[in-house]
Amino acid sequence: MIHLAKEDIKHTLGKFVVTAMGVGMLLGIVLIMVGVYRGMIADAEVILNDLNVDLWIVQDDTLGPFAEASKVHEDLKYTIKTINAIDKSEAITFQNLQLPLPHKKLAVFAIGYDIYGAINPINTKRLIAGRVLKNEHYEIVVSDKTLYKLGDKIKLGRNFYTVVGITHGTVASGGDPLVYVSLKDAQELQFTYSNKRIETDRARGILSKNSDLVNAIIATVKPGYINEEIAKDIRKWLHKSVYTRAQQKVVLTRYVVEKASKQIGLFTVILVVVATIIIALIIYTMTLEKMKEISIMKLIGLPNSLIVKMIVEETMLLGFFAFIFGNIFSHLIYTKFPKNVLLQLQDAWVLFGIVMVASVFASFIAVKKVINADPTAAIGG
Amino acid sequence: MNQNQAIKIQHLNKSFGKGDAYVDVIHDANFTINKGELVALIAPSGAGKTTLLMMLGCVESPDSGTIWLGDEKVYENKWLTKETRKIRREKIGFIFQAHYLIPFLNIVDNLTLLPQTNKVKDEESKQKARELLEYFDIAEKENAMPSQLSGGQNQRVAIARALINDPEIVLADEPTAALDTNRSIDVVKMLKKIAIQRDVAIVMVTHDERMLEYCDKIMKIENKTIVFNDA
Repeated sequence: MIHLAKEDIKHTLGKFVVTAMGVGMLLGIVLIMVGVYRGMIADAEVILNDLNVDLWIVQDDTLGPFAEASKVHEDLKYTIKTINAIDKSEAITFQNLQLPLPHKKLAVFAIGYDIYGAINPINTKRLIAGRVLKNEHYEIVVSDKTLYKLGDKIKLGRNFYTVVGITHGTVASGGDPLVYVSLKDAQELQFTYSNKRIETDRARGILSKNSDLVNAIIATVKPGYINEEIAKDIRKWLHKSVYTRAQQKVVLTRYVVEKASKQIGLFTVILVVVATIIIALIIYTMTLEKMKEISIMKLIGLPNSLIVKMIVEETMLLGFFAFIFGNIFSHLIYTKFPKNVLLQLQDAWVLFGIVMVASVFASFIAVKKVINADPTAAIGG
Repeated sequence: MNQNQAIKIQHLNKSFGKGDAYVDVIHDANFTINKGELVALIAPSGAGKTTLLMMLGCVESPDSGTIWLGDEKVYENKWLTKETRKIRREKIGFIFQAHYLIPFLNIVDNLTLLPQTNKVKDEESKQKARELLEYFDIAEKENAMPSQLSGGQNQRVAIARALINDPEIVLADEPTAALDTNRSIDVVKMLKKIAIQRDVAIVMVTHDERMLEYCDKIMKIENKTIVFNDA
C-alpha cells in the first residue's frame, strides 16, 4: 500500500526538515529546562551525599542552614556525641562568599569543617588536583568552576588563603561552586567583625567576638538505631531542630528549589504548548495547500480514513523528527549553560510521549478540515 | 432492464434553496446512457451540468427519482447504500478540467492508489497501471512525478487513472478545457476509442462545440429538463 504521508514528506522534504528543526529547537529548550531542574536537584544533593551523615542538628524552630539562618554552639557536638546511639558528630558552617577574580567577584558557597574531625565534607573522588585541608588556617580547596589553580592566593577577610586542592562537580543548590575552609577560618570569616566594628562595639560596651558558633551539627548514627527515633530524642531533650538525611533532602528540594522548579515547570509547559500550536499550524497550512488534492481524493472515492491517516502520520512524523532534532540540539548546547544541566533518558522518553500525544492533538484541526472538505470543490477548475 | 445500460435515470429532480432563494435545477429528468457511448453534456453556465454530473457520480444527492448505475439501483429517493464513496471507487472514473494528479505521488502510484484502496494486490495494480500507461503511450514515464510531465501527458495519466478500476462509467468535466484544439481533439478521440474498446459509458461536459462531432449523443439541459440530440 502506498504510504501517503511518507510520499508527501519526500515531496516537500526541505520544508519538512526545516520545520522539524525549528520545532526541535523548542523541544531542545524544553529538555534543557528539565535538565536545569534535574541539575538543581543533583546540585542540591551534592553536599548531602558528600557529607553522608544521618542527622542534621540546627537552631531550634529553623529549617537549617540551607533554607534559613541557623546558629548553634560548636560545643553542642560534644553533647551530641555523648548520646549512646551517635557514632560521630561534628560542627559545620555554610556561608556565601565572593571570591575576587581579576575583573569581578565570583559567588561561591563555603563549607567550614574541622579538619581534624571525624567527618570530612570533601569527597576525595571529586578531588582532581592537590589535597584536602591539612592546616588549620589559610588553606582553601576550591571547585574547578572557580578557575583558580593550585597555589593561587585568595584574599578573604583580612587574610590570604592558598589553594591546596581543586574539586570537580562540587556545587551548591543555587549552582554556586563549593569551596572548603577550616572550621576556625570559616568561623572567623562568618562571625568576626572588622576592626572598626569591634572598636565601635567596644565603645558601646558590646563584646563583638563570638566565633564559637556554627551553622549546624552533623552526626552519624550507629548501626541498629533508628534515625527518626534519635532525632525525636534530641528535639525533646536539647531543644534543637533535627532533620534526618531524608528530611534535609526535602528541605533542599521543597523549600530551596521549589520556586525555581515551579518556574521551570511553567516554562516547560508553555514551550510544549507553543510547540504543539506551531505543529498544529504547520500541519493545518500543509493541509490547506493540499485541499484540492484532498477533494480529488474524496471525489474519486478514497475513504476519509486514508486521508486522515496521512495527516495524522505526517503530524506524528513531524513531532518525531522534531523530538530527534531537539535531542541533538540539547546535547550540543547543554554544556554551554552556566548552571549544571542534567539530561536524563527518562525525561527524554516522557517528552517523547508528550510530543506524540501533542502531535495527535495538533492534527485535529487539519483532520476536521479534511473531513469537512467538499469533494465537489474538485469540479469546475 | 436493458443489459447494455450504464446509466438509467428516472424522474430525477434537484433543486436548491427555499422560499425566495428556491431554484429548480433539474426537473423530472429521464434518460438512459448505454455502455460504449460517448455522450456530450452541454448547457449554459449555471444550468446544472456540474450538479447533474455530481448526482450521476453519487456525490450530490438528488431530491427525488431513481438512479441506476449498470445493473445496480443506487438511488431511489435516498441513497440505497451508505457507502456512496465505494460506488465511486468501484464503478465510476472521473476526469477533470486539469489533470489533478496527486503531486507528491509518481505516475504509477497515482494510478495504483485507487485499486490498492480496493484491496487489489500491489503487483496486480502496478501491472494494470503499466498496461494503461502503455495504452496511452507514456509507459516510460511511470516513475516520473506529475511536475516532470507535459500538460498533455498528465491529462493522459489522469484518463488512465479514471480507467484503472475498470469503471462502468466515466464522468469527464471539461477534460479539454486546459488543452489547445489539436490536443483537445486527440483527447476526445481517445475517449471515444476508450468508450468503444472498454465498453464504458462516458459523459463529458464540454463548452467546445468542435468536440461534439466525435460524440455519440449530445445531452442538453434546456429549461431544467434533459434533451438528447444525435451528434
